[in-house]
Amino acid sequence: MNKQLRRAAYRTGMFLVSIALVAVFWELYKVVGPEKGGKLFGVAILPRSNDTAMPHLWEMLSRYAEPEMRGPHSRQIWLVVLQGAWFSFRLALVGFVIGSSIGVALAALMTRFKTMERGLLPYLVVSQTVPLIALAPLVVSWGGKLHIFGFTWPRWLSASVLGAFLAFFPIAVGTLRGLKSAPAASLELMDSYAASWKQTMFKLRFPAAIPYMVPAFKLGASGSVIGVVVAEISTGLKGGIGRLIIEYARQATGDPAKVFTAVFGAAGLGLAMAGLVTLADVLLMRNRPKETTT
Amino acid sequence: MSAVHVAGVSKIFNQGTPKQVDALVDVNLTVEPGEFVSLIGPSGCGKSTLLRLIANLLEPTTGAVTVNGKTSAQSRLDQDYGMAFQQAGLFDWRSVAKNIELPLELKGWDKEKRAARAQEMLELVKLPEFADLMPWQLSGGMQQRIAIARALAAHPPLLLMDEPFGALDEMTREYMQGELLRICAETKTTVVFVTHSIPEAVYLSNRVVVMTPRPGRITEVVNVNLGANRSEDTRAADNFFSGITAVREALRGTHADHANAGAVRGVEDR
Ligand SMILES: Nc1ncnc2c1ncn2[C@@H]1O[C@H](COP(=O)(O)OP(=O)(O)O)[C@@H](O)[C@H]1O
Ligand SMILES: [Mg+2]
Repeated sequence: MNKQLRRAAYRTGMFLVSIALVAVFWELYKVVGPEKGGKLFGVAILPRSNDTAMPHLWEMLSRYAEPEMRGPHSRQIWLVVLQGAWFSFRLALVGFVIGSSIGVALAALMTRFKTMERGLLPYLVVSQTVPLIALAPLVVSWGGKLHIFGFTWPRWLSASVLGAFLAFFPIAVGTLRGLKSAPAASLELMDSYAASWKQTMFKLRFPAAIPYMVPAFKLGASGSVIGVVVAEISTGLKGGIGRLIIEYARQATGDPAKVFTAVFGAAGLGLAMAGLVTLADVLLMRNRPKETTT
Repeated sequence: MSAVHVAGVSKIFNQGTPKQVDALVDVNLTVEPGEFVSLIGPSGCGKSTLLRLIANLLEPTTGAVTVNGKTSAQSRLDQDYGMAFQQAGLFDWRSVAKNIELPLELKGWDKEKRAARAQEMLELVKLPEFADLMPWQLSGGMQQRIAIARALAAHPPLLLMDEPFGALDEMTREYMQGELLRICAETKTTVVFVTHSIPEAVYLSNRVVVMTPRPGRITEVVNVNLGANRSEDTRAADNFFSGITAVREALRGTHADHANAGAVRGVEDR
Protein backbone atom coordinates (compact mmCIF):
# COMPACT_ATOMS: atom_id res chain seq x y z
CA MET A 1 0.00 0.00 0.00
CA ASN A 2 2.82 2.33 0.97
CA LYS A 3 4.57 1.41 -2.25
CA GLN A 4 1.46 2.26 -4.25
CA LEU A 5 1.21 5.63 -2.54
CA ARG A 6 4.84 6.36 -3.31
CA ARG A 7 4.29 5.42 -6.92
CA ALA A 8 1.24 7.67 -7.15
CA ALA A 9 3.23 10.54 -5.65
CA TYR A 10 6.05 9.89 -8.11
CA ARG A 11 3.64 9.92 -11.06
CA THR A 12 2.01 13.14 -9.91
CA GLY A 13 5.44 14.66 -9.48
CA MET A 14 6.51 13.63 -12.98
CA PHE A 15 3.28 15.08 -14.37
CA LEU A 16 3.90 18.41 -12.71
CA VAL A 17 7.52 18.44 -13.86
CA SER A 18 6.47 17.78 -17.46
CA ILE A 19 3.98 20.65 -17.32
CA ALA A 20 6.66 22.93 -15.88
CA LEU A 21 9.04 21.89 -18.68
CA VAL A 22 6.49 22.80 -21.34
CA ALA A 23 5.93 26.15 -19.60
CA VAL A 24 9.66 26.86 -19.47
CA PHE A 25 10.05 25.88 -23.12
CA TRP A 26 7.19 28.20 -24.08
CA GLU A 27 8.69 31.21 -22.33
CA LEU A 28 12.19 30.36 -23.58
CA TYR A 29 10.98 30.24 -27.16
CA LYS A 30 9.40 33.64 -26.68
CA VAL A 31 12.86 34.95 -25.79
CA VAL A 32 14.92 33.28 -28.52
CA GLY A 33 12.31 32.54 -31.20
CA PRO A 34 11.89 34.82 -34.26
CA GLU A 35 9.32 37.54 -33.72
CA LYS A 36 7.79 37.14 -37.20
CA GLY A 37 8.15 33.37 -37.44
CA GLY A 38 10.89 31.43 -39.20
CA LYS A 39 10.98 30.21 -42.77
CA LEU A 40 12.99 27.32 -44.12
CA PHE A 41 13.17 27.08 -47.95
CA GLY A 42 10.21 29.45 -48.13
CA VAL A 43 8.05 27.28 -45.88
CA ALA A 44 6.95 28.67 -42.56
CA ILE A 45 7.98 26.16 -39.92
CA LEU A 46 8.85 28.19 -36.86
CA PRO A 47 5.84 29.78 -35.16
CA ARG A 48 5.84 33.48 -34.46
CA SER A 49 6.94 34.31 -30.96
CA ASN A 50 5.17 37.65 -30.67
CA ASP A 51 2.59 38.27 -27.95
CA THR A 52 -0.35 37.85 -30.32
CA ALA A 53 0.59 34.32 -31.36
CA MET A 54 2.17 33.26 -28.10
CA PRO A 55 1.00 35.28 -25.13
CA HIS A 56 2.91 35.00 -21.89
CA LEU A 57 1.76 32.30 -19.51
CA TRP A 58 1.00 34.75 -16.75
CA GLU A 59 -1.25 36.66 -19.14
CA MET A 60 -3.22 33.49 -19.82
CA LEU A 61 -3.52 32.73 -16.12
CA SER A 62 -4.47 36.24 -15.08
CA ARG A 63 -7.03 36.28 -17.89
CA TYR A 64 -9.08 33.76 -15.91
CA ALA A 65 -9.77 36.34 -13.23
CA GLU A 66 -10.92 39.02 -15.68
CA PRO A 67 -14.44 39.41 -17.09
CA GLU A 68 -15.27 37.56 -20.29
CA MET A 69 -16.29 40.66 -22.21
CA ARG A 70 -16.10 44.38 -21.74
CA GLY A 71 -19.35 45.59 -20.29
CA PRO A 72 -21.00 45.83 -16.92
CA HIS A 73 -22.69 42.42 -16.64
CA SER A 74 -19.98 40.12 -17.89
CA ARG A 75 -19.01 37.15 -15.72
CA GLN A 76 -15.40 36.32 -14.94
CA ILE A 77 -13.85 34.07 -17.53
CA TRP A 78 -12.94 31.20 -15.18
CA LEU A 79 -16.62 30.77 -14.45
CA VAL A 80 -17.54 30.80 -18.14
CA VAL A 81 -14.83 28.26 -18.98
CA LEU A 82 -15.81 26.06 -16.04
CA GLN A 83 -19.45 26.06 -17.08
CA GLY A 84 -18.51 25.29 -20.68
CA ALA A 85 -16.26 22.47 -19.52
CA TRP A 86 -19.00 21.07 -17.30
CA PHE A 87 -21.45 21.14 -20.22
CA SER A 88 -18.97 19.33 -22.50
CA PHE A 89 -18.03 16.94 -19.70
CA ARG A 90 -21.61 15.72 -19.44
CA LEU A 91 -21.80 15.23 -23.21
CA ALA A 92 -18.49 13.39 -23.18
CA LEU A 93 -19.66 11.23 -20.29
CA VAL A 94 -22.78 10.24 -22.23
CA GLY A 95 -20.59 9.51 -25.27
CA PHE A 96 -18.15 7.54 -23.14
CA VAL A 97 -20.94 5.43 -21.66
CA ILE A 98 -22.45 4.74 -25.09
CA GLY A 99 -19.02 4.07 -26.61
CA SER A 100 -17.86 1.74 -23.88
CA SER A 101 -21.14 -0.21 -23.92
CA ILE A 102 -20.82 -0.70 -27.66
CA GLY A 103 -17.09 -1.45 -27.42
CA VAL A 104 -17.50 -4.05 -24.67
CA ALA A 105 -20.49 -5.65 -26.41
CA LEU A 106 -18.53 -5.90 -29.66
CA ALA A 107 -15.55 -7.41 -27.85
CA ALA A 108 -17.77 -9.99 -26.13
CA LEU A 109 -19.40 -10.83 -29.45
CA MET A 110 -16.03 -11.22 -31.16
CA THR A 111 -14.86 -13.47 -28.33
CA ARG A 112 -17.95 -15.61 -28.68
CA PHE A 113 -17.83 -15.97 -32.46
CA LYS A 114 -14.48 -16.28 -34.21
CA THR A 115 -16.09 -15.40 -37.55
CA MET A 116 -17.33 -12.15 -36.03
CA GLU A 117 -13.79 -11.13 -35.21
CA ARG A 118 -12.55 -11.83 -38.73
CA GLY A 119 -15.57 -10.18 -40.35
CA LEU A 120 -15.99 -7.20 -38.06
CA LEU A 121 -12.55 -6.06 -37.00
CA PRO A 122 -11.47 -4.73 -40.43
CA TYR A 123 -14.60 -2.58 -40.59
CA LEU A 124 -13.94 -1.23 -37.12
CA VAL A 125 -10.43 -0.27 -38.17
CA VAL A 126 -11.71 1.42 -41.34
CA SER A 127 -14.39 3.27 -39.37
CA GLN A 128 -11.66 5.08 -37.45
CA THR A 129 -10.14 6.50 -40.62
CA VAL A 130 -13.31 8.48 -41.41
CA PRO A 131 -12.49 12.11 -40.57
CA LEU A 132 -14.55 13.34 -37.65
CA ILE A 133 -15.00 16.78 -39.18
CA ALA A 134 -16.76 15.19 -42.16
CA LEU A 135 -18.87 12.94 -40.00
CA ALA A 136 -20.11 15.58 -37.56
CA PRO A 137 -22.55 17.45 -39.84
CA LEU A 138 -23.84 14.12 -41.18
CA VAL A 139 -24.68 12.85 -37.71
CA VAL A 140 -26.43 16.11 -36.91
CA SER A 141 -28.57 15.94 -40.03
CA TRP A 142 -29.38 12.25 -39.54
CA GLY A 143 -30.27 12.90 -35.93
CA GLY A 144 -32.49 15.81 -36.93
CA LYS A 145 -34.52 13.48 -39.11
CA LEU A 146 -35.06 10.97 -36.33
CA HIS A 147 -38.49 10.96 -34.74
CA ILE A 148 -39.29 7.62 -33.20
CA PHE A 149 -42.07 7.13 -30.67
CA GLY A 150 -42.18 10.82 -29.90
CA PHE A 151 -38.46 10.93 -29.25
CA THR A 152 -36.84 13.91 -30.87
CA TRP A 153 -33.11 13.84 -31.20
CA PRO A 154 -31.59 16.69 -29.16
CA ARG A 155 -28.74 18.49 -30.89
CA TRP A 156 -26.28 17.76 -28.08
CA LEU A 157 -26.79 14.04 -28.58
CA SER A 158 -25.01 14.29 -31.93
CA ALA A 159 -21.91 15.52 -30.14
CA SER A 160 -22.15 12.62 -27.68
CA VAL A 161 -22.52 10.17 -30.54
CA LEU A 162 -19.33 11.47 -32.09
CA GLY A 163 -17.62 11.13 -28.72
CA ALA A 164 -18.87 7.55 -28.60
CA PHE A 165 -17.57 7.02 -32.13
CA LEU A 166 -14.03 7.84 -31.03
CA ALA A 167 -14.37 6.05 -27.69
CA PHE A 168 -15.68 2.67 -28.77
CA PHE A 169 -12.75 1.60 -30.92
CA PRO A 170 -9.87 1.47 -28.42
CA ILE A 171 -12.29 0.01 -25.88
CA ALA A 172 -13.42 -2.75 -28.25
CA VAL A 173 -9.86 -3.65 -29.22
CA GLY A 174 -8.46 -3.51 -25.67
CA THR A 175 -11.36 -5.45 -24.19
CA LEU A 176 -11.09 -8.09 -26.93
CA ARG A 177 -7.40 -8.58 -26.15
CA GLY A 178 -8.23 -8.76 -22.45
CA LEU A 179 -11.03 -11.29 -22.86
CA LYS A 180 -8.68 -13.46 -24.87
CA SER A 181 -5.93 -13.16 -22.27
CA ALA A 182 -7.54 -15.70 -19.92
CA PRO A 183 -5.04 -18.59 -19.70
CA ALA A 184 -5.93 -21.81 -21.50
CA ALA A 185 -5.58 -23.76 -18.25
CA SER A 186 -8.14 -21.53 -16.53
CA LEU A 187 -10.55 -21.92 -19.43
CA GLU A 188 -10.05 -25.66 -19.22
CA LEU A 189 -10.74 -25.52 -15.49
CA MET A 190 -14.05 -23.74 -16.12
CA ASP A 191 -14.84 -26.39 -18.74
CA SER A 192 -14.09 -29.14 -16.26
CA TYR A 193 -16.73 -27.58 -13.98
CA ALA A 194 -19.13 -27.57 -16.95
CA ALA A 195 -19.43 -23.80 -16.53
CA SER A 196 -21.73 -22.03 -18.99
CA TRP A 197 -20.43 -19.45 -21.45
CA LYS A 198 -21.92 -16.70 -19.32
CA GLN A 199 -20.31 -18.03 -16.15
CA THR A 200 -16.94 -18.29 -17.88
CA MET A 201 -17.38 -14.75 -19.18
CA PHE A 202 -18.20 -13.14 -15.85
CA LYS A 203 -16.14 -15.25 -13.48
CA LEU A 204 -13.03 -15.61 -15.62
CA ARG A 205 -12.75 -13.66 -18.87
CA PHE A 206 -13.87 -10.23 -17.67
CA PRO A 207 -11.88 -10.25 -14.42
CA ALA A 208 -8.83 -11.38 -16.39
CA ALA A 209 -9.46 -8.60 -18.93
CA ILE A 210 -9.43 -5.70 -16.48
CA PRO A 211 -5.68 -4.96 -16.71
CA TYR A 212 -6.17 -4.65 -20.49
CA MET A 213 -9.41 -2.76 -20.25
CA VAL A 214 -8.15 0.05 -18.04
CA PRO A 215 -5.67 1.59 -20.50
CA ALA A 216 -8.20 1.04 -23.30
CA PHE A 217 -10.87 2.88 -21.32
CA LYS A 218 -8.42 5.72 -20.67
CA LEU A 219 -7.91 6.09 -24.41
CA GLY A 220 -11.66 5.87 -24.89
CA ALA A 221 -12.26 8.54 -22.26
CA SER A 222 -9.97 11.05 -23.95
CA GLY A 223 -11.44 10.00 -27.31
CA SER A 224 -14.93 10.87 -26.10
CA VAL A 225 -13.71 14.34 -25.04
CA ILE A 226 -12.02 14.96 -28.39
CA GLY A 227 -15.10 13.75 -30.24
CA VAL A 228 -17.40 16.04 -28.30
CA VAL A 229 -15.17 19.11 -28.56
CA VAL A 230 -14.60 18.63 -32.31
CA ALA A 231 -18.31 18.05 -32.81
CA GLU A 232 -19.12 21.24 -30.92
CA ILE A 233 -16.66 23.15 -33.05
CA SER A 234 -17.76 21.76 -36.39
CA THR A 235 -21.50 21.88 -35.74
CA GLY A 236 -21.44 25.10 -33.76
CA LEU A 237 -23.24 23.58 -30.77
CA LYS A 238 -23.64 26.22 -28.06
CA GLY A 239 -22.83 25.89 -24.38
CA GLY A 240 -19.68 23.78 -24.43
CA ILE A 241 -15.95 24.32 -24.36
CA GLY A 242 -15.65 23.69 -28.12
CA ARG A 243 -17.88 26.65 -28.86
CA LEU A 244 -15.82 28.81 -26.49
CA ILE A 245 -12.65 27.81 -28.33
CA ILE A 246 -13.94 29.01 -31.72
CA GLU A 247 -15.50 32.13 -30.27
CA TYR A 248 -12.33 33.12 -28.43
CA ALA A 249 -10.13 32.19 -31.37
CA ARG A 250 -11.95 34.79 -33.46
CA GLN A 251 -11.00 37.40 -30.87
CA ALA A 252 -7.37 36.29 -30.80
CA THR A 253 -5.93 39.40 -32.42
CA GLY A 254 -7.36 41.73 -29.80
CA ASP A 255 -7.28 39.34 -26.84
CA PRO A 256 -4.70 36.60 -27.53
CA ALA A 257 -4.69 35.09 -24.03
CA LYS A 258 -8.42 34.43 -24.09
CA VAL A 259 -8.45 31.41 -26.37
CA PHE A 260 -5.86 29.65 -24.23
CA THR A 261 -8.13 29.78 -21.21
CA ALA A 262 -10.63 27.66 -23.16
CA VAL A 263 -7.92 25.35 -24.56
CA PHE A 264 -6.70 24.60 -21.06
CA GLY A 265 -10.29 24.01 -20.06
CA ALA A 266 -10.55 21.32 -22.76
CA ALA A 267 -7.30 19.75 -21.59
CA GLY A 268 -8.56 19.70 -18.01
CA LEU A 269 -11.71 18.03 -19.26
CA GLY A 270 -9.68 15.19 -20.79
CA LEU A 271 -7.72 14.83 -17.58
CA ALA A 272 -10.92 14.69 -15.53
CA MET A 273 -12.28 11.88 -17.72
CA ALA A 274 -9.03 9.93 -17.54
CA GLY A 275 -9.04 10.53 -13.78
CA LEU A 276 -12.43 8.85 -13.51
CA VAL A 277 -11.03 5.74 -15.19
CA THR A 278 -7.96 5.79 -12.96
CA LEU A 279 -10.24 5.88 -9.95
CA ALA A 280 -12.09 2.81 -11.23
CA ASP A 281 -8.72 1.17 -11.91
CA VAL A 282 -7.52 1.68 -8.35
CA LEU A 283 -10.77 0.29 -6.96
CA LEU A 284 -10.89 -2.75 -9.23
CA MET A 285 -7.22 -3.65 -8.98
CA ARG A 286 -6.68 -3.07 -5.27
CA ASN A 287 -6.37 -6.77 -4.51
CA ARG A 288 -4.32 -7.80 -7.52
CA PRO A 289 -0.62 -8.67 -7.53
CA LYS A 290 1.47 -5.53 -7.86
CA GLU A 291 3.18 -6.46 -11.15
CA THR A 292 -0.03 -6.33 -13.16
CA THR A 293 -1.17 -3.01 -11.70
CA THR A 294 -0.47 -0.46 -14.38
CA MET B 1 -18.67 -50.14 -10.58
CA SER B 2 -15.25 -48.82 -11.61
CA ALA B 3 -14.28 -45.24 -10.95
CA VAL B 4 -12.81 -44.94 -14.43
CA HIS B 5 -13.23 -47.28 -17.36
CA VAL B 6 -11.38 -46.58 -20.60
CA ALA B 7 -12.18 -49.09 -23.33
CA GLY B 8 -10.46 -49.28 -26.71
CA VAL B 9 -9.82 -45.57 -26.82
CA SER B 10 -7.83 -43.84 -29.55
CA LYS B 11 -7.27 -40.14 -29.96
CA ILE B 12 -6.04 -38.83 -33.28
CA PHE B 13 -5.52 -35.09 -33.62
CA ASN B 14 -5.94 -33.42 -37.02
CA GLN B 15 -7.01 -36.66 -38.62
CA GLY B 16 -6.42 -36.87 -42.35
CA THR B 17 -4.21 -33.77 -42.48
CA PRO B 18 -0.41 -33.64 -42.78
CA LYS B 19 -0.35 -32.57 -39.12
CA GLN B 20 -2.02 -35.81 -37.97
CA VAL B 21 -0.85 -36.99 -34.53
CA ASP B 22 -1.74 -40.41 -33.16
CA ALA B 23 -1.76 -39.25 -29.57
CA LEU B 24 -3.32 -42.45 -28.19
CA VAL B 25 -3.93 -45.82 -29.79
CA ASP B 26 -6.11 -48.60 -28.36
CA VAL B 27 -5.88 -47.66 -24.70
CA ASN B 28 -7.63 -49.80 -22.07
CA LEU B 29 -7.57 -48.84 -18.40
CA THR B 30 -9.76 -49.52 -15.41
CA VAL B 31 -9.38 -47.68 -12.12
CA GLU B 32 -11.24 -49.02 -9.07
CA PRO B 33 -12.71 -46.73 -6.40
CA GLY B 34 -10.13 -45.70 -3.83
CA GLU B 35 -7.21 -46.55 -6.08
CA PHE B 36 -4.30 -44.23 -6.76
CA VAL B 37 -3.08 -44.71 -10.33
CA SER B 38 -0.19 -42.82 -11.91
CA LEU B 39 0.43 -42.33 -15.61
CA ILE B 40 4.11 -42.08 -16.44
CA GLY B 41 6.09 -41.87 -19.66
CA PRO B 42 8.27 -39.56 -21.73
CA SER B 43 6.83 -36.25 -22.80
CA GLY B 44 4.47 -36.52 -25.76
CA CYS B 45 3.28 -40.05 -24.95
CA GLY B 46 -0.28 -38.87 -24.40
CA LYS B 47 -0.56 -38.70 -20.60
CA SER B 48 -2.31 -35.37 -20.60
CA THR B 49 -4.47 -36.44 -23.50
CA LEU B 50 -5.63 -39.53 -21.61
CA LEU B 51 -6.41 -37.42 -18.55
CA ARG B 52 -8.37 -34.93 -20.67
CA LEU B 53 -10.33 -37.78 -22.23
CA ILE B 54 -11.29 -39.02 -18.77
CA ALA B 55 -12.25 -35.44 -17.87
CA ASN B 56 -14.31 -35.13 -21.07
CA LEU B 57 -12.32 -32.06 -22.07
CA LEU B 58 -11.60 -34.06 -25.24
CA GLU B 59 -13.74 -36.58 -27.12
CA PRO B 60 -12.11 -39.90 -28.07
CA THR B 61 -11.73 -40.65 -31.77
CA THR B 62 -12.76 -44.24 -31.10
CA GLY B 63 -13.72 -46.14 -27.97
CA ALA B 64 -15.59 -45.12 -24.85
CA VAL B 65 -14.81 -43.58 -21.48
CA THR B 66 -17.03 -44.07 -18.45
CA VAL B 67 -16.60 -42.40 -15.08
CA ASN B 68 -18.57 -43.67 -12.09
CA GLY B 69 -20.61 -45.79 -14.47
CA LYS B 70 -21.76 -42.76 -16.47
CA THR B 71 -20.53 -41.38 -19.74
CA SER B 72 -17.65 -38.98 -19.18
CA ALA B 73 -19.83 -36.15 -20.53
CA GLN B 74 -22.48 -36.79 -17.88
CA SER B 75 -19.96 -37.05 -15.07
CA ARG B 76 -18.42 -33.73 -16.10
CA LEU B 77 -21.85 -32.12 -15.92
CA ASP B 78 -22.35 -33.68 -12.50
CA GLN B 79 -18.90 -32.47 -11.35
CA ASP B 80 -17.96 -36.05 -10.49
CA TYR B 81 -14.30 -35.18 -10.58
CA GLY B 82 -11.99 -32.37 -9.55
CA MET B 83 -8.94 -31.36 -11.51
CA ALA B 84 -5.53 -29.88 -10.71
CA PHE B 85 -2.79 -28.82 -13.10
CA GLN B 86 0.92 -28.04 -12.90
CA GLN B 87 0.13 -24.36 -12.49
CA ALA B 88 -2.13 -23.91 -9.49
CA GLY B 89 -4.19 -21.60 -11.71
CA LEU B 90 -5.83 -19.72 -8.85
CA PHE B 91 -7.71 -16.60 -9.87
CA ASP B 92 -5.72 -13.51 -8.85
CA TRP B 93 -8.82 -11.47 -8.20
CA ARG B 94 -10.35 -13.89 -5.71
CA SER B 95 -9.31 -14.48 -2.14
CA VAL B 96 -8.13 -17.94 -1.18
CA ALA B 97 -11.54 -18.86 0.21
CA LYS B 98 -13.34 -17.51 -2.85
CA ASN B 99 -11.07 -19.55 -5.09
CA ILE B 100 -12.03 -22.70 -3.23
CA GLU B 101 -15.68 -21.72 -3.50
CA LEU B 102 -15.53 -21.35 -7.28
CA PRO B 103 -16.87 -24.82 -8.21
CA LEU B 104 -19.60 -24.51 -5.57
CA GLU B 105 -20.59 -21.08 -6.87
CA LEU B 106 -20.90 -22.51 -10.38
CA LYS B 107 -23.14 -25.22 -8.96
CA GLY B 108 -25.35 -22.59 -7.35
CA TRP B 109 -24.66 -23.29 -3.68
CA ASP B 110 -25.78 -20.58 -1.29
CA LYS B 111 -23.31 -18.33 0.47
CA GLU B 112 -23.22 -19.79 3.98
CA LYS B 113 -22.87 -23.33 2.71
CA ARG B 114 -20.01 -22.27 0.44
CA ALA B 115 -18.15 -20.44 3.18
CA ALA B 116 -18.52 -23.39 5.54
CA ARG B 117 -17.21 -25.81 2.93
CA ALA B 118 -14.29 -23.52 2.05
CA GLN B 119 -13.30 -23.44 5.70
CA GLU B 120 -13.60 -27.23 5.91
CA MET B 121 -11.33 -27.57 2.86
CA LEU B 122 -8.81 -25.11 4.32
CA GLU B 123 -8.64 -27.27 7.44
CA LEU B 124 -8.14 -30.31 5.24
CA VAL B 125 -5.10 -28.80 3.51
CA LYS B 126 -3.90 -27.34 6.83
CA LEU B 127 -4.12 -23.68 5.87
CA PRO B 128 -7.12 -22.71 8.02
CA GLU B 129 -6.07 -19.11 8.71
CA PHE B 130 -5.40 -18.24 5.05
CA ALA B 131 -9.01 -17.74 3.91
CA ASP B 132 -8.82 -13.99 3.36
CA LEU B 133 -5.37 -13.78 1.80
CA MET B 134 -4.94 -13.29 -1.93
CA PRO B 135 -3.35 -16.17 -3.89
CA TRP B 136 -0.26 -14.19 -4.86
CA GLN B 137 0.58 -13.76 -1.19
CA LEU B 138 1.12 -17.53 -0.92
CA SER B 139 4.14 -19.70 -1.75
CA GLY B 140 3.97 -22.11 -4.69
CA GLY B 141 3.37 -25.12 -2.46
CA MET B 142 0.58 -23.35 -0.57
CA GLN B 143 -1.02 -22.29 -3.85
CA GLN B 144 -0.98 -25.88 -5.02
CA ARG B 145 -2.63 -26.99 -1.76
CA ILE B 146 -5.36 -24.41 -2.34
CA ALA B 147 -5.77 -25.75 -5.88
CA ILE B 148 -6.26 -29.24 -4.41
CA ALA B 149 -8.76 -27.84 -1.92
CA ARG B 150 -10.63 -26.25 -4.82
CA ALA B 151 -10.58 -29.50 -6.79
CA LEU B 152 -12.03 -31.38 -3.82
CA ALA B 153 -14.44 -28.68 -2.63
CA ALA B 154 -17.53 -30.32 -4.14
CA HIS B 155 -16.42 -33.66 -2.61
CA PRO B 156 -15.99 -35.38 -5.98
CA PRO B 157 -15.18 -39.09 -5.79
CA LEU B 158 -12.40 -38.69 -8.36
CA LEU B 159 -9.38 -36.40 -8.56
CA LEU B 160 -7.52 -35.91 -11.85
CA MET B 161 -4.05 -34.36 -11.58
CA ASP B 162 -1.67 -33.36 -14.37
CA GLU B 163 1.88 -33.00 -13.00
CA PRO B 164 0.55 -30.99 -10.05
CA PHE B 165 3.90 -30.87 -8.26
CA GLY B 166 6.05 -30.43 -11.37
CA ALA B 167 6.84 -26.78 -10.62
CA LEU B 168 7.72 -27.26 -6.95
CA ASP B 169 11.17 -27.69 -5.40
CA GLU B 170 12.14 -31.16 -4.23
CA MET B 171 11.54 -30.57 -0.50
CA THR B 172 8.10 -29.06 -1.01
CA ARG B 173 7.33 -31.76 -3.52
CA GLU B 174 7.93 -34.61 -1.05
CA TYR B 175 5.92 -32.82 1.61
CA MET B 176 3.05 -32.35 -0.86
CA GLN B 177 3.13 -36.03 -1.78
CA GLY B 178 2.66 -36.97 1.86
CA GLU B 179 -0.14 -34.43 2.20
CA LEU B 180 -1.87 -35.68 -0.92
CA LEU B 181 -1.85 -39.25 0.39
CA ARG B 182 -3.27 -38.13 3.72
CA ILE B 183 -5.97 -36.01 2.07
CA CYS B 184 -7.02 -38.77 -0.31
CA ALA B 185 -7.13 -41.32 2.49
CA GLU B 186 -9.26 -38.97 4.63
CA THR B 187 -11.65 -38.21 1.80
CA LYS B 188 -11.53 -41.67 0.18
CA THR B 189 -10.85 -40.05 -3.18
CA THR B 190 -9.78 -42.02 -6.24
CA VAL B 191 -6.84 -40.41 -8.03
CA VAL B 192 -5.47 -40.51 -11.56
CA PHE B 193 -2.12 -38.75 -11.41
CA VAL B 194 0.12 -37.74 -14.31
CA THR B 195 3.83 -37.38 -13.55
CA HIS B 196 7.20 -37.90 -15.10
CA SER B 197 8.95 -38.54 -11.83
CA ILE B 198 9.50 -42.24 -11.15
CA PRO B 199 9.93 -41.94 -7.35
CA GLU B 200 6.83 -39.79 -7.17
CA ALA B 201 4.76 -42.35 -9.08
CA VAL B 202 6.06 -45.24 -6.99
CA TYR B 203 5.63 -43.48 -3.66
CA LEU B 204 2.07 -42.41 -4.35
CA SER B 205 0.51 -45.18 -6.39
CA ASN B 206 -1.16 -48.52 -6.13
CA ARG B 207 -0.44 -48.98 -9.82
CA VAL B 208 1.86 -47.19 -12.22
CA VAL B 209 0.73 -47.11 -15.84
CA VAL B 210 3.75 -46.91 -18.16
CA MET B 211 3.19 -45.27 -21.55
CA THR B 212 5.25 -44.81 -24.72
CA PRO B 213 5.04 -42.26 -27.50
CA ARG B 214 4.50 -42.40 -31.29
CA PRO B 215 1.89 -43.71 -31.20
CA GLY B 216 0.91 -43.11 -27.57
CA ARG B 217 -0.12 -46.29 -25.81
CA ILE B 218 0.06 -48.20 -22.53
CA THR B 219 2.90 -50.72 -22.54
CA GLU B 220 2.89 -51.96 -18.99
CA VAL B 221 1.14 -51.58 -15.66
CA VAL B 222 3.40 -51.98 -12.62
CA ASN B 223 1.84 -52.88 -9.26
CA VAL B 224 3.70 -51.14 -6.45
CA ASN B 225 1.52 -50.81 -3.39
CA LEU B 226 3.79 -49.71 -0.56
CA GLY B 227 0.92 -50.13 1.88
CA ALA B 228 -1.44 -47.74 3.61
CA ASN B 229 0.99 -46.41 6.18
CA ARG B 230 3.58 -44.76 3.99
CA SER B 231 5.84 -42.27 5.74
CA GLU B 232 9.12 -40.51 5.05
CA ASP B 233 10.84 -43.77 6.09
CA THR B 234 9.17 -45.50 3.16
CA ARG B 235 11.46 -43.53 0.87
CA ALA B 236 14.39 -45.49 2.28
CA ALA B 237 12.65 -48.87 2.24
CA ASP B 238 13.65 -51.76 0.01
CA ASN B 239 10.27 -52.18 -1.66
CA PHE B 240 10.33 -48.49 -2.59
CA PHE B 241 13.58 -49.04 -4.48
CA SER B 242 12.42 -52.26 -6.07
CA GLY B 243 9.29 -50.39 -7.22
CA ILE B 244 11.46 -47.69 -8.75
CA THR B 245 13.58 -50.32 -10.50
CA ALA B 246 10.50 -52.05 -11.87
CA VAL B 247 9.06 -48.83 -13.28
CA ARG B 248 12.43 -47.76 -14.66
CA GLU B 249 12.86 -51.07 -16.44
CA ALA B 250 9.37 -50.88 -17.81
CA LEU B 251 10.15 -47.42 -19.15
CA ARG B 252 13.52 -48.47 -20.55
CA GLY B 253 12.01 -51.58 -22.07
CA THR B 254 9.56 -49.46 -23.93
CA HIS B 255 12.35 -47.18 -25.08
CA ALA B 256 14.29 -50.12 -26.50
CA ASP B 257 11.11 -51.75 -27.72
CA HIS B 258 11.95 -51.59 -31.39
CA ALA B 259 15.69 -52.09 -31.13
CA ASN B 260 15.79 -54.99 -28.68
CA ALA B 261 13.77 -58.15 -28.78
CA GLY B 262 10.61 -57.30 -26.87
CA ALA B 263 10.15 -60.93 -25.88
CA VAL B 264 13.40 -61.04 -23.92
CA ARG B 265 12.36 -57.92 -22.03
CA GLY B 266 9.05 -59.51 -21.18
CA VAL B 267 10.71 -62.64 -19.77
CA GLU B 268 13.02 -60.58 -17.60
CA ASP B 269 10.17 -58.65 -16.05
CA ARG B 270 8.07 -61.67 -15.15
N1 LIG C 1 -4.88 -30.17 -29.15
C1 LIG C 1 -3.91 -30.85 -29.80
N2 LIG C 1 -3.78 -30.76 -31.14
C2 LIG C 1 -2.84 -31.44 -31.78
N3 LIG C 1 -1.95 -32.25 -31.22
C3 LIG C 1 -2.00 -32.38 -29.88
C4 LIG C 1 -2.99 -31.70 -29.10
N4 LIG C 1 -2.81 -32.02 -27.80
C5 LIG C 1 -1.77 -32.88 -27.77
N5 LIG C 1 -1.28 -33.13 -29.02
C6 LIG C 1 -0.18 -34.02 -29.35
O1 LIG C 1 -0.48 -35.29 -28.82
C7 LIG C 1 0.69 -35.89 -28.30
C8 LIG C 1 0.47 -36.23 -26.85
O2 LIG C 1 0.40 -35.02 -26.10
P1 LIG C 1 0.21 -34.99 -24.53
O3 LIG C 1 -0.96 -35.80 -24.17
O4 LIG C 1 0.20 -33.57 -24.11
O5 LIG C 1 1.55 -35.68 -24.02
P2 LIG C 1 2.19 -35.72 -22.55
O6 LIG C 1 1.22 -35.10 -21.61
O7 LIG C 1 2.42 -37.16 -22.27
O8 LIG C 1 3.48 -34.98 -22.63
C9 LIG C 1 1.83 -34.91 -28.53
O9 LIG C 1 2.51 -35.30 -29.70
C10 LIG C 1 1.13 -33.60 -28.73
O10 LIG C 1 1.87 -32.79 -29.60
MG1 LIG D 1 1.41 -33.33 -20.38
